[in-house]
Amino acid sequence: MVWLPNMIVVALLAGAFILFRTVRRNRFWTESIARLWRRRRFSLIIIGLYLAVALLDTISWVGGSASENASDVVAAHKPRSVIDRIFQPDSFMEISYSEPFADVGFYGEQPLAHPGKHILGTDILGQDVFYRSLKGVKIALLIGGLTTLIVIPIALIFGLAAGYFGGRVDDVVFFVMSTLASIPNLLLLIALIIVLGTGPVQVCVALGVTGWVGFCRLTRGETLKLREADYVQAAKALGASHLRIITRHIIPNLAHLIVITFALQFTGLVLAETVLAYLGIGLDGSWGQMIDQARNELSRSPVIWWNLAGATVLLFTLVLCVNLCADALRDILDPRTRKEAQ
Amino acid sequence: MFAYIVRRLAYGAVTVLGVLLLLFVLFFAIADPDDIARQAIGERASAEVYEQWKVNHGYDKPLVINAEHGVLEPGRYTDTLLFEHYRSMLTFDFGRSDADDVPIAERLRQGALPSLSLTLPLFALSLVVGVFFALLVAFFRDTYVDFAVLVMCMLAMSVASLIYIIAGQYLIGLTLKWFPISGFDADPALVIRFLALPIIIGVIASFGGDVRLYRTVFIEETNKDYVRTARAKGCGDARVMVRHVLRNALIPILTSVVLAIPFLFVGSLLFENFFGIPGLGAITVEAINGNDFSTLRTMVYISALLFIVAQILTDISYTLADPRVRLS
Amino acid sequence: MNATRRWCGLLATSVACLLVAACSNNPYPSEEQNEKIQYAAFSEAPRTLDPATAYTTSAHVITANVYDTLLEYHYLNRPYELIPGLAEALPEVEQLLDGRTVFTFRLRDGIMFQRDASFSLNDNDTDSRKVTAHDFAFQFARLADPAVNSPVFENFASITGFRAFRDLISERRQADEAFAALRIDQQYEALGGVPGIIVLNELELEIVLDQQDLQMLYWFAIPFTTPVPWEAVVYWDGEEGRERFADHPVGTGPYTLSVYDKQFRYVLERNPMWYGAMYPEWQAPGAVFPTDITQEDVEARRVNPEYAGRALPFLDRIEYRRERESIPHFNKLLQGYYDSGGVINESFDAVIDGDRLSPAMVEMGMALDQVVSPSVFYIGFNMDDPTIGRTAGEPGRLLRQAMSLVVDVEQYLEIFSNGRGVPAQSPIPPGLFGYDDAYSNTFRQVDIDRAKDLMVQAGFPGGTDPATNEPLKLTFDTGNTTAQAQLRYKYFVTAWRRLGIDVEIAATTYNKFQEKVRTGAYQIFQWGWVADYPDPENFLFLLESGSARSATGGPNTANFSNPDYDALFAQMSDRPSDDERLRLINEMIALLERERPWIELYHLEDYILRHEWVLNAKPMGLSYPVYKYRDIDAELRSESRETWNQPVRWPLYAIILLMVAATVPAIRTLYRERQ
Repeated sequence: MVWLPNMIVVALLAGAFILFRTVRRNRFWTESIARLWRRRRFSLIIIGLYLAVALLDTISWVGGSASENASDVVAAHKPRSVIDRIFQPDSFMEISYSEPFADVGFYGEQPLAHPGKHILGTDILGQDVFYRSLKGVKIALLIGGLTTLIVIPIALIFGLAAGYFGGRVDDVVFFVMSTLASIPNLLLLIALIIVLGTGPVQVCVALGVTGWVGFCRLTRGETLKLREADYVQAAKALGASHLRIITRHIIPNLAHLIVITFALQFTGLVLAETVLAYLGIGLDGSWGQMIDQARNELSRSPVIWWNLAGATVLLFTLVLCVNLCADALRDILDPRTRKEAQ
Repeated sequence: MFAYIVRRLAYGAVTVLGVLLLLFVLFFAIADPDDIARQAIGERASAEVYEQWKVNHGYDKPLVINAEHGVLEPGRYTDTLLFEHYRSMLTFDFGRSDADDVPIAERLRQGALPSLSLTLPLFALSLVVGVFFALLVAFFRDTYVDFAVLVMCMLAMSVASLIYIIAGQYLIGLTLKWFPISGFDADPALVIRFLALPIIIGVIASFGGDVRLYRTVFIEETNKDYVRTARAKGCGDARVMVRHVLRNALIPILTSVVLAIPFLFVGSLLFENFFGIPGLGAITVEAINGNDFSTLRTMVYISALLFIVAQILTDISYTLADPRVRLS
Repeated sequence: MNATRRWCGLLATSVACLLVAACSNNPYPSEEQNEKIQYAAFSEAPRTLDPATAYTTSAHVITANVYDTLLEYHYLNRPYELIPGLAEALPEVEQLLDGRTVFTFRLRDGIMFQRDASFSLNDNDTDSRKVTAHDFAFQFARLADPAVNSPVFENFASITGFRAFRDLISERRQADEAFAALRIDQQYEALGGVPGIIVLNELELEIVLDQQDLQMLYWFAIPFTTPVPWEAVVYWDGEEGRERFADHPVGTGPYTLSVYDKQFRYVLERNPMWYGAMYPEWQAPGAVFPTDITQEDVEARRVNPEYAGRALPFLDRIEYRRERESIPHFNKLLQGYYDSGGVINESFDAVIDGDRLSPAMVEMGMALDQVVSPSVFYIGFNMDDPTIGRTAGEPGRLLRQAMSLVVDVEQYLEIFSNGRGVPAQSPIPPGLFGYDDAYSNTFRQVDIDRAKDLMVQAGFPGGTDPATNEPLKLTFDTGNTTAQAQLRYKYFVTAWRRLGIDVEIAATTYNKFQEKVRTGAYQIFQWGWVADYPDPENFLFLLESGSARSATGGPNTANFSNPDYDALFAQMSDRPSDDERLRLINEMIALLERERPWIELYHLEDYILRHEWVLNAKPMGLSYPVYKYRDIDAELRSESRETWNQPVRWPLYAIILLMVAATVPAIRTLYRERQ
């Protein structure tokens, strides 16, 4: 299974390249992105950093450790990512808690194996908190990204079909949507995870099942409107096939919706995972799990804050940057505000 | 008009059936009754005890088709889990909890009041606070107030709700000693003490998202023609804001908010658990931890049912108020 | 304009009202502050209070106070000593020539059940009834009844005809529908009850055991053997709005359960029908405070000598509130709203300073009790497993020995419980016969070099499995998926990694884990055991092949099966505690040291904090909380609460000021506009 994450990286990079090429050819999108860059340069750079960390944490291979240390030998037989190789978590650890940049342990004052090197201190098992927080990046992006990758195609296909063809198709899609929408999101999510079991794929599928309805409804509504638009009617009269009308005339006009929904959904999903972690059905190694583990540490005296801080700050920064970009994107892409701005 | 209502009701009923089908697939087809029985009574019981338990809790029948009955007998389809599931849920005969045999209906009755006493004030207060600040921001839009509140909202929105609860309990409950850290009481004079802290934290936690949402609605409303007309007539800014904008914007706000009301019954999983409020949310968390499937599926069903009813009522009152809707 | 002002006014007043009305952190009604009420917390309600099935500490806090037993433990004396409870005296023990043992109990005359609606089944006007020997016989029949499904069935199997009664009743119920429809007590009666439980007359009860079983006496001090009225079992059937018997205990004890809301509260109240309250002239040992008070207990403020010989109970009420999270629970303890409670890990350093209470706690008047409970926590190997188990032969044993050598339990306890707990050398905890303080298990001392040598001898040099040329892969199976537990398991995994062994944590749902245990598909697990009664037999049986999980579904989850051990166990189990028994126990421990089916971790040590106003709270250690001896100084408590809980008000004023300041520009604008 070593090849799977690497293949995903390749696929993602390829996808990004294709997207880049398509966008380059389109004046509207190049301009929009340029405006976004002007308004949210800082946020975009930070999001880029998160992406880079996640990529580095995904590219992995087996072997490569020359250490004689038995723990390292065990580790060397498992695929390790670039981040793992940088931190060497199996030897870069202490016995228990230590403060950021400390030279001695938090309890008992015994000297550390790696004094002054733990930027965010170490946790109860002596693991580097900075390393653990960085590992959370991949999981957060996985939750947000994978789920959205599940949601968007499903929602797009069903929404388009329902809106464009109407009739029976619309009835069925609408029925499924209203059924799912009438169950509170969190409850449905919990029920799904309890029955499907915990694990990255299961959690993302559960989040996807609960998440696609809103976007599907939006797509359906927009498609209904676009179907009646003059240029679609004209294309129809000229004898264009359904497929052509959908891909050439409808999807491009839905693109801005997709982008905005993606951004908004993303933050919602990442935050929702903390609640799941509290309920004990989150993902292993996620920020939610770190927060859940660390919440009781606040009552220790002296307070152990770095564990909570590491996860919270990284989570907060990511969500804030994505929120800011989503906000700007909405201003830039939304036709109503676009008109107003001009 | 009558035909519309009938159609709407029929559609609501079909949706309920759909929800039940989903629950059936999740809780009967995927989850194994033998596992549930073992979980409930332990590992070391005799086979008869397991069988008896499954009979008592209605897990003893075949899923969809009962082969013991002939093809033409109705029992072939009625003497099954699927039929039993629909029958019990539709007649509100929820049976007993898988975990401790308590009648689920009784548990719902006990949990509804604590849940409502937390969520209703929380809901009303956050609505008032949200609308108030949104109005303020819309009124002072493009000034320092607008900018400051928007930045605050954006920051507030990016913090996980868990953090609010942890920090609030620590700060207000433990350090300042304003309220009990957690707990509940049935006595109304005492209960306000327990509810104050979760309500304050809840209002703060929902502040960011609410204000931003309502602000958009208000600003959209201020851009409409009648507002310009009113201004042109010489109405003061504040007067326009309250008399016209607030009144008109409240309709979309309220309709979006009304649909959230049924979810109030379910309470808040996080708040109830952290603050020891014995509501339906806490019951749900307990059902999750104890793998109490019968309670969990009843909770899901009840909340979906309430939502569907609320939706129908909103739709019908809409139609009564605005005849144009009926045509579409 | 007016509307805005009204809105602002409404908002401000409602918030202000809320804050003023609520601004106190006392979670209890103020009028009960001077009553003799003990406040305690529970985290999860027990599944059942039926004395035949209730087997958890959370249930025993209720059942031990509601249900009286024939015998009881002396409240103060250690090692534990039995005193008569409902019985007039300790039973006569008679050894028959054929190897059977007979206990004869004589009941006190006049003991009544608590008032309860179920007694109307006899006669509409009565709400109580006298306890007779039949009520004990009824409960023993319930323990044997497969439909009741008692978890301790096996422990009573030495009673003559106990198993046969179980099989008989289950047979009759299946064969004869008319029999199955009979009332439950009539079913038992029709079969003549358990043959070994003989009701001589209303007040005399004879119990016949097939073999010598001295441990049986302890079971008469546990609510499993309490008298149960058949009326309560029949009446409280859970139908038509009536509660289940499992949620509605009906007993003879000093307290009755008057409120039982599993979601947030239960209340125990004085039972006016208790024999101690009805017949103070009896001066029954279970109804007066012991007079033999030791100086040590007085000095540690565990016992107040003034109470010697006074009639029990002292508390009027015990209030249990639910606390789902440990931190709020502990904080309320510090605020004085709970009377006593355990010290949680997180607050350990604030409360304990080295080996004693921190100065802040001493100033609050807190006292600290340290109790090692008769328990053992261990990592077990599944001995049926081909890699690490029995069939792996010598290499398997060496592997287990090596893995045992690297688990540093002292460090583990330091990290996870601030050093609380006694590192275990054998299954037997301190305070029990057979525990040897000087004994040190050679494989429970950390020695990585020796462990590495053993790995080489076992054929896994450096942890490498010669078959695959990769690190040896093992799994650690658990049904606990919480984040906190993962950390603990990870500690062990990290330790084994130092040997080059790659142990993977397989955390699944509880159901999946149980399924693995059932099918034998597990390698390493962690488990704990808390004693039912203070005897080494109750620990050593955990490794006897007769209770192997794979063969009999018993608690020997390691599936350890060793003929030598079994033979020693058989000799040891029903011997009185003499030198020969000690020799047998030592031999068994030596065998375990070599075989390593377990890596013994620690014996649980509880730190219990107790406020100054809690009197006579000597911890029992066993899962056996008795409240009838305790008392509360309610005045001192309400004074202390008052001084400790003054709210800090200035931030409230600051916030109001800030809000006013922020709205000034807005109001100015409005004002200007109006001009």
